[in-house]
Amino acid sequence: MTLTKQVFEYVPAPPAGDDPLHGELLTLNMGPQHPATHGVLRLVVTLDGERIVECDPVVGYLHRGKEKSAESLGWHKFFPHTDRLDYVQPLMNNIGYALALEKLAGIEAPPRAQVIRVLLMELSRIMGHLIYLGTQSIDLGAVTIFFYAFKEREKLYEIVDAYTGHRMNNTYVRIGGVYADVDERVERLVEEFLVEFEKGLGDMDALLTRNRIWNDRNRGIGVISRADALAMSLTGPVLRGSGVEWDLRRTQPYCGYESYDFDVPTGATGDCYDRYLVRMEEMRQSCRIVRQALDRLKTVKGDVLVEDRRFVLPPKDLVHKSMEELIFQFKVVTDLRLQKGQSYRGIESSKGELGFFVASDGTSKPLRCHIRAPGLMNIQALPMLAKGRLFSDMVSLIGSMDFVMGEVDR
Amino acid sequence: MSDANATASAPRFVAALGSLPHCVSQSPDGPVVEVELAQLKDVLRALRDRAGFEMCSFVTCIDHYPSEPRFALHHQLLSFEHNDRVRVRCVLPGENAPTCTDLWPGANYMERECFDMFGVRFEGHPDLRRLLMPDGYDHYPLRKEFPHHGIEPDKLYREWDRARREQWTEGAQ
Amino acid sequence: MGSLKPVGPESNEQQGSGFFATRADFLINWSRKNSLWPMPLGLSCCGIELMGLLGPKFDLARFGAEAARFTPRQCDLLIVAGTLTWKMAQAARTIYDQMPDPKWVVAMGVCSSSGGMYDSYSVVQGIDSIMPVDVYVPGCPPRPDAVIDAVLKLQKKIEREDPLGRLIGPATAPRPEEGTGKLVFQPNQGLPKGAWDKHAHDPKSRLAIGDPLPRKTEVKP
Repeated sequence: MTLTKQVFEYVPAPPAGDDPLHGELLTLNMGPQHPATHGVLRLVVTLDGERIVECDPVVGYLHRGKEKSAESLGWHKFFPHTDRLDYVQPLMNNIGYALALEKLAGIEAPPRAQVIRVLLMELSRIMGHLIYLGTQSIDLGAVTIFFYAFKEREKLYEIVDAYTGHRMNNTYVRIGGVYADVDERVERLVEEFLVEFEKGLGDMDALLTRNRIWNDRNRGIGVISRADALAMSLTGPVLRGSGVEWDLRRTQPYCGYESYDFDVPTGATGDCYDRYLVRMEEMRQSCRIVRQALDRLKTVKGDVLVEDRRFVLPPKDLVHKSMEELIFQFKVVTDLRLQKGQSYRGIESSKGELGFFVASDGTSKPLRCHIRAPGLMNIQALPMLAKGRLFSDMVSLIGSMDFVMGEVDR
Repeated sequence: MSDANATASAPRFVAALGSLPHCVSQSPDGPVVEVELAQLKDVLRALRDRAGFEMCSFVTCIDHYPSEPRFALHHQLLSFEHNDRVRVRCVLPGENAPTCTDLWPGANYMERECFDMFGVRFEGHPDLRRLLMPDGYDHYPLRKEFPHHGIEPDKLYREWDRARREQWTEGAQ
Repeated sequence: MGSLKPVGPESNEQQGSGFFATRADFLINWSRKNSLWPMPLGLSCCGIELMGLLGPKFDLARFGAEAARFTPRQCDLLIVAGTLTWKMAQAARTIYDQMPDPKWVVAMGVCSSSGGMYDSYSVVQGIDSIMPVDVYVPGCPPRPDAVIDAVLKLQKKIEREDPLGRLIGPATAPRPEEGTGKLVFQPNQGLPKGAWDKHAHDPKSRLAIGDPLPRKTEVKP
């Protein structure tokens, strides 16, 4: 579905000749510690007066060597590291890695685990988009929205806390399912959240969508054409904002997404405002999917982990009682072996296509575990978008491209 | 499912490749085209122009050390129109490879990352610098012989720190 | 409660403890500890929790430390939240140097405390290898409650400082390391206000251990 445009006319920035500082080049360093760069991104910007001549992103300030860690740790021990990739939505990354490994192992999670995964992924998507909303708005001066967004995020953390026992970085997904089942308390919390969130999202929508400042600072800025978006490997809401109806949940479904009813919103012009609209609509669609997943949880019963001792950890209570299970636990953690070969699985995270490319040589350590980070591609597009724009638009651009440095730098 | 799609459309891009020497195999996630280094650029161009692979999902490298030749380059391509993926695998005899930034500008950072992590030099790349590690770094971290703990990880910081302190003491005198 | 006391005659505990000095110290410490201005150096995951900490639910404003500024020159509490890499270390150290004295540092999360799970080629194994740290907060990431606890602990630590002694007293070394044999255990004694309990970031104290920090900030030519 295409989102309709509304309200104000966009007033373009004054021509370059009107700028009294025109002709004087200035190199400005933005970051790596800057509130608007959302983490440790550094931008070396060359300015002609107020206009950006050139922009060079410098990344790597949070390079923690995750891919090397994967090679020295082993398949199973890398799970906690995937949490810290896109740390605003840890469970989503877990699921992406688990899906890549399951493909290589040739197993599939049981139906109930798939429903739980969908539930977690959609809640994570809302988490990710709320961070976008909060940080983008605080950068553009709407501090209220930051507090509104974080109020909603705290409720999500409560749900995740009730389910996994920790607010963030909860390694709760396993190869072949999830660690534990969702109980009634979590279901009740999610139901309560959905009711409150719709009201909260409506409040934010009312404050932003027709807001004059928000419109002026987002409309017509960072326009990405369809061809540019494809050439620059952009995915996710940025691609959909440019009018490409491409959502991996719809086109290459996983975890049973093909059986859920949801719309894929697309923008018309591909500017920052369209990306904002797409993300707002995606949050509403996520709520729809969460509702359907909650209904399914009532009917779909059964295990949440595959009973396959080659790849899957045995239940903890059995490990404490039985020698066999203890050995299996030890084998899975230290010496999990997958078939020789390579596999790639991309999932639709809130930033775009998050992919894990895993290569196994048949031993207990990965030959290679490459992480295809959507955020890196989004940063790559920044110089193209910033060229010729006013420097104050840089803030809107950084916010609307929505990257998380943990995932970009790995 | 994507796997079924990919398998069904495998002949599609095979026709596009024409007479270019290649070898198509199946992996758990779809077809893999294996090519020689000399044909890599032509195969990629044919896949983009004639088979409709509009996006380069990622470019990465695998280090097969200690076996020789050690580096294998992987290009993962995605077609929106046909909804399928293909991976192009190319074993590098040395450390040089042709760039594909002229085909997909989005491959720029991925090739820079490959250079940073493995030391693969992409010929014709517009801006081949380190991406993740600092500029003066001497090693290629994802090579298999590089230890996980690193080699003198704090060297650049200590040099900077020493220069800074010397500057201060000069200023104080 | 017991405490560790340095061996030898050089511990000058009584210095600067007249009535006036004590009351002035109390007043200065009271005002300092209740108006900490944090500089949130949000590097990674912990940065998100730090945002939650400043958000409506946990509300660090209740402890007088909500005035987060993103320029180090206005702040006196550096919260290093997240993994510090060697590439970022130069920036972090510059930020630390730019903060005016008195300043305090909280290492939030295991990554900044000890390197945590990233025992790898690019990560600083604990920020105390590039700057002194006052409070370490464990957790990956720590819950906001834990950071509030750290701020309260830091407030207690500030209470024990003697700002006047630092201003007019002689340069003395900061507290010796535990486990070096230079400290003896004293049972049933509170933490004394002594020379070794001085501020770890004090330029004078650091001069005594041969690691001077500049008083003036760096001016680029």
